[in-house]
Amino acid sequence: MKKIEAIVQPSRFDSVKDALREIGVEGMTVVEVRGHGRQKGHTETYRGREYTVDLLPKVKLEIVLPDSLANSAVDVILKTAKTGKIGDGKIFLSDVTEAIRIRNEERGEKAL
Amino acid sequence: MAKKLSDTTMTTARASLDPGARPPIGRLAPLSEFNVKCDERRREIQKRFDEGAGARETLHALCELADGNILEVFGGLLRTHREAQQGFCLLAIGGYGRRQLFPFSDLDILFLFGSRRAEQEFRPLIAELSRTLWDLGFRVSSAGRTLEECKRIEEDNAEFHLALLDRRFLAGDETLYEKLDKKILATSEKQARPFLLAQLQRLTQERLARCGNTIFHLEPNVKEAPGGLRDYQAKAWFRHIEGSGASGADLMASAVDFLSSIRCFLHYRNGRNDNTLTYELQAAAAQRGLGLPDGLSRNPEEWMRLYFRHARTLNRQLLRYLEQKGFVRPSLRQRLFNAARGPKLEPINGKPFAVREKLLEVLDQPALSDRAVTFSLFGEAARTGIQLSHSAEFSVAYILTHPELPARNTEMTWATLRDILAGDYPGLALRPMQRLGLLTDVLPELRAIDSLVIRDFYHRYTVDEHSLRAIEHLQELAEPKDERAAYFTDLWKSLEQRELLIFALLLHDVGKGMGMENHIIGSLEALDSAAIRLQLEPHEKEEVRFLIEHHLDMTATLLRRDIFDPETIATFSKTVSTVERLSRLCLLSYADIHAVNPEALTPWKAEMLWQLFAAASNYLNRSVDRDRLHSIQEATVLDEVVRQAPDAAREDIERFLEGFPRRYLAVHTPLEIAHHFSMYKKLNNDSVQIELKTARHAYSLTLLTQDRPALFAKISGVLASWGMSIMKADAFANAAGIVLDTFHFVDLHNTLELNPGEIARLRQSLSDVLKGYAALEPLLQARMLAIQSRSPKVAVPTKISFDDESSAHSTLLEILTQDRPGLLYEISSILSRFGCNIEVALVDTEGQKAIDVFYLTRNGVKIPAELQHRIANAFSGPI
Repeated sequence: MKKIEAIVQPSRFDSVKDALREIGVEGMTVVEVRGHGRQKGHTETYRGREYTVDLLPKVKLEIVLPDSLANSAVDVILKTAKTGKIGDGKIFLSDVTEAIRIRNEERGEKAL
Repeated sequence: MAKKLSDTTMTTARASLDPGARPPIGRLAPLSEFNVKCDERRREIQKRFDEGAGARETLHALCELADGNILEVFGGLLRTHREAQQGFCLLAIGGYGRRQLFPFSDLDILFLFGSRRAEQEFRPLIAELSRTLWDLGFRVSSAGRTLEECKRIEEDNAEFHLALLDRRFLAGDETLYEKLDKKILATSEKQARPFLLAQLQRLTQERLARCGNTIFHLEPNVKEAPGGLRDYQAKAWFRHIEGSGASGADLMASAVDFLSSIRCFLHYRNGRNDNTLTYELQAAAAQRGLGLPDGLSRNPEEWMRLYFRHARTLNRQLLRYLEQKGFVRPSLRQRLFNAARGPKLEPINGKPFAVREKLLEVLDQPALSDRAVTFSLFGEAARTGIQLSHSAEFSVAYILTHPELPARNTEMTWATLRDILAGDYPGLALRPMQRLGLLTDVLPELRAIDSLVIRDFYHRYTVDEHSLRAIEHLQELAEPKDERAAYFTDLWKSLEQRELLIFALLLHDVGKGMGMENHIIGSLEALDSAAIRLQLEPHEKEEVRFLIEHHLDMTATLLRRDIFDPETIATFSKTVSTVERLSRLCLLSYADIHAVNPEALTPWKAEMLWQLFAAASNYLNRSVDRDRLHSIQEATVLDEVVRQAPDAAREDIERFLEGFPRRYLAVHTPLEIAHHFSMYKKLNNDSVQIELKTARHAYSLTLLTQDRPALFAKISGVLASWGMSIMKADAFANAAGIVLDTFHFVDLHNTLELNPGEIARLRQSLSDVLKGYAALEPLLQARMLAIQSRSPKVAVPTKISFDDESSAHSTLLEILTQDRPGLLYEISSILSRFGCNIEVALVDTEGQKAIDVFYLTRNGVKIPAELQHRIANAFSGPI
């Protein structure tokens, strides 16, 4: 099993979610986050009030899925989240050793 | 109410069991026999309920079943243990005590001992009794007390004392019970009355707050939520503790029966003590016409409306007890002092209502039959933030429901409604108006969403509740509670035409009750009918129409577009077109998201919303001269203006409009533009055309003339010399150099109001100064000295910034500084001294802060950097 953590632009989130559903990814955890990578923030003013937009809004998706689905899920995220501009986000892929469904204690891929 | 009864002598029955000491069941009686009988009886009761038996019958039967089993088990155990029952008895308390035992409710039992010794003696018997009852399927929640312990009020355990109010004897030593009931508790409850009332009030308020203080949940908990059965019980406890008896029960009987039926149904369907009326169970209950006298099927929406009607009855009966400030009876001395002081209530402006203990009270109930008086009561609440007392609300309800008191002035005009909506606290008027049914009288369009449940994963409240909550979230911005609100506070406080925003919020989701695929179309239809009936001005209707039509746009933009992309900002800003409209749309979006559920407006979303607002606001302020009108491309607007000015030649109007910034079209209606055009046509007769109008809280001056040096400075100078405080101003010029300036100002000394003849003199003064017939300086001299001697209430530091990027033709100058009378004159004079021409001016104030944006040129080009530096220096001292 693999865990995908993808940080994407909020504006791309709906498309990513729909595309993942289309390839059979049923569940995901979504968090509204702020952060920055190479896309540093900038300072804005509004009516004399300066505000620094140094932590930019992003959406973080966490998905655990069978190995067989991991590559296609990554491809889908790449395709749908990409605008070609700085700030499109990142994908992190890692191994998951176990998954357990709390309700009935099913384990492994059956629990996903 | 928390269910758990704390206990000094015993824990709940299960926890007190010692498996090692468990006696054989056979010592009591064949348990299986009991069990079978008990289960059979339970099934019979459920069957009867499923066949249509009412809640009362069901609860009574369940209670009898429990009573019978307890008596049988208890008697058997006494025999087995060879114990006499002296010094020990069983009491039913809480819901079981008042014979309201729902299918899976806990069985609240108190074990009462005459002494510590009795407690020790009966302990094994109690353990066995409790265990046996559990095995028979009763969820026992028990407590134990000695008689001595019952004399003491447990201040950290008010729930126990409240449950004890519903005590009844079950089994054992009846003399012991009589002693407790007639002597000990009769005395201690009387002494503890203020404590019990205060605790009950606290617990009730906490419970209601946990449920958002509203009955209108999409999936309500029929026991704990506002309007649930706990409301009825809390009211009964208030009356019991006060010694008021149980009157009022008739009013609530059908509501209690209805909700009790639902609760029985939920227990049976869920197989446990789960009181949440989910969507699925709403549909099932509606299908079988649950709780309805005819027992016929209804659709879920209709059935839920009946639920909310009953819930509203229970909730309203309770709420009046929550506004009582203190439950301690005043001393005799205090009462005599109060009596000597005479009546305290003074009518407000001759109206038959007054303020008592920070609540609006009605002094003369019959006067409310004049509906204009009733409306003014709501207007007072919206204006002052003082809410109606429940007795005032009852007074209004009485008048509304008694046709023998013929109502007068029943029509609410737009002017009256507008005053309510424009108040700082519109929710404080709209909420009771909704409860009383007056809101749907005024706006029948709202009936479509009255108590309407729309199945939605995110929404927590009914559609009408959502709209009212949205309005209340706005009024809360006056005193922001958290970082989410803090972004939008200034925006709310300085918002113009607030009534249009509130009106839009009332109607924005009405279409959801019309069964249309796109609810916005329905909401716009509702606006059409309301606007005709209330006679909204066309521009007011247009503004509300825009807000309803686009009420999802800002949220969609921030969630589905990249708000840091200039293209997104430009596209969004062009849709909105003015900063004023943007402000209203932003606040509408804030309120709309916030009212979905308490967690919907995350700090993340609030920040993004504000960033989108700030970016769009900057865009609109910095792009005014980028987007100029070319009349030939504006056929629709031209048609409208031509319709308003039928005698004018189309080509003349085209010439007049050519070159004005597009903002000019956005902030003026076709009627106003036609009027400006008529002023333009008169320039040949008089080179300075002036129009001065009284607005609701200010004056508005429109001035049309050929551009000339220091024009803006002179106009603002004349207004300053008359003591007028300029709140807002626009200055636009067309391609032919005709300048149209609009000033909104406040008459600080009421000069014009007290001396209407002075209006003509002010016009003359403006005309004379602009034409060079009179000098400005002598007029200003005395006034400026007076102004400069005043010190500001709040210090706002001056900030100056130049921007050569935003406009292709001009340099933008943004000035933020302390607002005061004469400020605009001083700023524009400085600019004039440096030879700057004001192409466009956008002047605004936000509390004590003046926010002015000028588009400047000098000799037809942008301001050179060196001159910008000198201008900045000129502003660096006190302006």
